[in-house]
Amino acid sequence: MDWSIVWKAILALAGLAFLFGVLLAVASTRFQVETDPRVDEVMGAILGSNCGACGYPGCQPAAEAVVAGTAPVDVCVAGGRAVAEAVARVMGISLEMRERGVALVHCKGGLSESVPKALYQGISSCAAADKIAGGGKACSYGCLGLGTCKDTCPVNAIIIDPEHRRWVDRERCTGCGLCAEACPRGLIEIVPRHQEVLVVCNSGDKGGRAKRICSVACTGCKKCEKVCEADAIHVEDNLARIDYEKCTACGDCIEVCPTDVIVRVVPVKGSKKQQPVSARDL
Amino acid sequence: MNEVYRYFLIFLGALLIYNILLIRFIALCPLMGVSTQVETSIGMAMSVLFVMTMATTVSWVAWNYVLEPLHVGEFLYIPVFILIIAALVQFVEMFIKRSSPPLYRAMGIYLPLITTNCAVLAAATEAVKPGFLKLNIAYHFSLPEALVYTIGVALGFGVVIIVFACIRERLETSPVPHAFRGTPLAFIIAAILSLAFMGFANLLGL
Repeated sequence: MDWSIVWKAILALAGLAFLFGVLLAVASTRFQVETDPRVDEVMGAILGSNCGACGYPGCQPAAEAVVAGTAPVDVCVAGGRAVAEAVARVMGISLEMRERGVALVHCKGGLSESVPKALYQGISSCAAADKIAGGGKACSYGCLGLGTCKDTCPVNAIIIDPEHRRWVDRERCTGCGLCAEACPRGLIEIVPRHQEVLVVCNSGDKGGRAKRICSVACTGCKKCEKVCEADAIHVEDNLARIDYEKCTACGDCIEVCPTDVIVRVVPVKGSKKQQPVSARDL
Repeated sequence: MNEVYRYFLIFLGALLIYNILLIRFIALCPLMGVSTQVETSIGMAMSVLFVMTMATTVSWVAWNYVLEPLHVGEFLYIPVFILIIAALVQFVEMFIKRSSPPLYRAMGIYLPLITTNCAVLAAATEAVKPGFLKLNIAYHFSLPEALVYTIGVALGFGVVIIVFACIRERLETSPVPHAFRGTPLAFIIAAILSLAFMGFANLLGL
């Protein structure tokens, strides 16, 4: 047997491998980019699945923002507290947990509550419906019910029932705010998790018209404003709004609201075991 | 044969008639994976064009000046070409990270994907190793011919993946039965597009 071919093969492959190895070794020192080593450590601490829930295009930009100080240590909303603690350790700062919010769709009106003005049969997307004369609903403030928020949600926390009513699974919701950005009508607000009393309407119409076109619309009657002892609820532009700092969750406004626009929800706490929350908790 | 015409035939053959994605079904993973948005597919197409051209150049030199004189190319070409592509992608990544951060942000995420991309290996092998070509135009390419062939393959990859991404973006807003959403529909589109590309067979006697 001719062994020369074996030696030649080994020589060729080893030679080329050595050549490329040297080239890469030289390149890695020659073209080294000065990066903060903490970026890599933060990258290791956060989940790294590029889910985008934090609002950055990916985990790498989020990690760079943390090191640059423009993002908080709990930037990784999907990772929760454990990841935030790990990032805080890398950054050498103590952890102040920012309370994650939870999404609230400011509209209660489904097909049987809201009066239609037309039958919308176009592309099944809220943005498209909003562009064509404001979709099928008479209310120009309310939810279009076509589910752009539901499609945007990375954790499937938004449910749309056959009546086109929206329900947020408050246990699943991470408060990332992607749905709030996606909603063409700006209906979705990220509210504090502990907040129990919420106004679920966005209508800026005057009382008479609001009542005519939707059975669950805020008419701006100011009954809630008068009954509130904590001075927490005010009617501005025909719509009641709650100051979450002042609200004591006494529930007086819920009692007096003639159209049931103010509701009480179960506050969401940390652990899933403590808090069995149904999907119907708005 | 006229020299310019010959280059034209090599280019057209690589681009359309033996299109790497739709006729030979090489590199189906990026076709399905990176074609959901037009923007990312353009980034991928650019990165492939860049890496493929460089990989063929280096592979051609390695074949003609190392493997062929030693008579070991027949069985060593796959490990050597993979070595070349992997090292090259690493090198390019380091180089553009230093020299052009905006380009790195645009192309950076695709480069590691290309390291193990079969399309790059296929293009390099066909353009460099004799006897692998489907085109009945030559048995072995010179370096300029190999480069024209590779650019044709890469542009064929790019054109198809961008057209594919445009179709998929349009279908995102269409009322499609739930079971067909996403990948199943993508495969059906790929099949129909492939049928269309088969119409190029025997064009100009290739």
